Amino acid sequence: MKLKDQFLFVQQNMKKNRTRVFMTILATAMACAFLIVLASVGFGLHKSIIKETTEQRIVTQIDVHGKEEGDGAYRPLTEKDIEALENLDNVKAVVRRQALFQEGSYKIGEYGSWAQTYVTHIPSEIKAGFELSAGALPEKENEIIVGYDFANSLVSENAKEEDMYDEKGVLNEKYKYQGDLVGKELTFTAKQWIDGEEKKKDISVIVAGIGKKPTREWVMDQNVFISQETLKEIEAFTGTPRGMMNDPNSGAQQVTDTDNHTFEEVKVYARNLEAVEGVTEKLEEQNYASYSVVSELKQINMIFTIVKAGLILIGTIAILIASIGIYNTMTMAVTERAPDIGIMKAIGANPRTIKNIFLLESSYIGLIGALIGTVVSYVISFAVNFAIPMIIQSAFGEELPEGLMFSHIPFILPLICIIICYIVTILSGLRPAQRATKIDVLKAMRREI
Amino acid sequence: MIKVQSLSHDFEIGRKGNKTIIPMLRDISFEVKQGEIVTIVGRSGSGKSTLLNLISGFIHPKEGEILINNKNVTKLSETKFADFRIEHIGFIFQSFQLIPSMTAFQNVELPLILKGVNEADRKKTTEEILTTVGLIDYKDHYPGELSGGQQQRVSIARALIVNPPVILADEPTGSLDSETEQELLQFIKNLNMELGITFLIITHDQRVAEIGNRTIELRDGRIYSPELSTKQEVLL
Repeated sequence: MKLKDQFLFVQQNMKKNRTRVFMTILATAMACAFLIVLASVGFGLHKSIIKETTEQRIVTQIDVHGKEEGDGAYRPLTEKDIEALENLDNVKAVVRRQALFQEGSYKIGEYGSWAQTYVTHIPSEIKAGFELSAGALPEKENEIIVGYDFANSLVSENAKEEDMYDEKGVLNEKYKYQGDLVGKELTFTAKQWIDGEEKKKDISVIVAGIGKKPTREWVMDQNVFISQETLKEIEAFTGTPRGMMNDPNSGAQQVTDTDNHTFEEVKVYARNLEAVEGVTEKLEEQNYASYSVVSELKQINMIFTIVKAGLILIGTIAILIASIGIYNTMTMAVTERAPDIGIMKAIGANPRTIKNIFLLESSYIGLIGALIGTVVSYVISFAVNFAIPMIIQSAFGEELPEGLMFSHIPFILPLICIIICYIVTILSGLRPAQRATKIDVLKAMRREI
Repeated sequence: MIKVQSLSHDFEIGRKGNKTIIPMLRDISFEVKQGEIVTIVGRSGSGKSTLLNLISGFIHPKEGEILINNKNVTKLSETKFADFRIEHIGFIFQSFQLIPSMTAFQNVELPLILKGVNEADRKKTTEEILTTVGLIDYKDHYPGELSGGQQQRVSIARALIVNPPVILADEPTGSLDSETEQELLQFIKNLNMELGITFLIITHDQRVAEIGNRTIELRDGRIYSPELSTKQEVLL
């Protein structure tokens, strides 16, 4: 008997018991929708957290904090380490920054600001993706680059505390620096305690360029990049590496060594996301303490894989319960159709054909249920993502993070559900189908079953 | 065409440890040649239906052998007998055994569906056979909408559709009135003469028995034919 004919046969049989078949399909659809929606919460939260994690930092960036020495302690990275890192395979750039240990006081006219100041290797920064929004790269010793938001941090010294900020906590426009910064001269004030007295030295710098606006809206870039020569000038005044202040009140040992070439911030950029894991492994092999988004993603993925598997397992229990309904429907179908089965066997129907017809019927019920369940779960998922943030906002007055997804149904989820449903329905239809093949022809034709 | 050799069969009733064996058939041997109509007669309980069920493969004999078309079918598995049955044997039953939820057309078409014949050929053959039995105008009627005679003709059409060399009939006129019975018997005769189909008919009705080329009488599970003086003359 051809599959197409078996299929038509099944459809005819199902039409005879529309109500019962409909209720069984409904139960299966509900079970499938339950499985998909339940697991979709795991998938949704996983996706949201991954998105949040990858958006907070550059995914190809690997932070290197130091190198482990034999005794388990970590030392800061030096030029030699930078060279070793640059020679690793699949490394696009190694950004290294030396922080200035000063307040970072800058002034232009009546406006002043405090900014974190760094000395950096500009070619590496450019390789890593650093771009300017205005001006050019520094060419002279006293030229600097300021961050995109540096201008906004400049506040007039005439600003009065009572109206410095508006109701939203934003600096009042009239106290903000309004002019252009490129080419303008700023005064950097270096400080040091000398003979118990705080001494100051003004160093003149010129803004060569302004960094590009950070891609994430919430990031404020107020950093200042100075040249190696300017740093040396500061160090010459302070007499300490990176302008470190020797506060006589702190009681700490005074630092005087200015021949220190270590880096506070070292970031290795891999060529692509796929290469991050390999580079991280190499770094670990060479005893570098590193951290990348891949390490974080690995942990997140592992936790959510367990969560999702658990949710799918709970959902499968619902399908198993629905399979009892399928078993019942198929058993009743076999009993009701026993005379017909007897006639078919009498005229030459192969027992295998009879079995196939009933298995096809149970799997047909299961598959229709799974498909309806999938459609319903997509509707529920959409409704959940639409309604829950509104409900939470109106009930608790809290705004949820943008892009937070309560429910997400990837293609794989309905596929898993359909496969589980198909296996379960085949198993639940197997026994009734086997019973059908064992029906005694003579008893069936005498209507004794 | 059909050869039965030393066939014996018992029925066991009761549960384990308290079983009773009821002998049904004892040492039955006969042969039906191609193109013959052979009728098997006997009183109720004489074993004629059991004999037909054994030949049909619905039950397996305890002893003896059955050959159909020179193939020993005695020990065929259920699956293999099903395949053999659909190719070589047509059935006509006393109570027609039509599937009530199927139309006359669908009932007749069923053996072809089971054989895996394609739809176009099925449709053509089914319409031809329904025309032969005079029921083409009733093809969309369900069994419940047909008279007893019409239902039996649908049953015959279903038996004929796979063009089997032999048709086994169990009390084919048992549910019909005398007028319809005569029509049906004439129809069977015509099929035998025109198509050369072999018939083995089980009946307790003398008028049905008369259409046979030969009649085998069963009494208490054994062949008994007084008109042939000895059992051996019946055995071929």
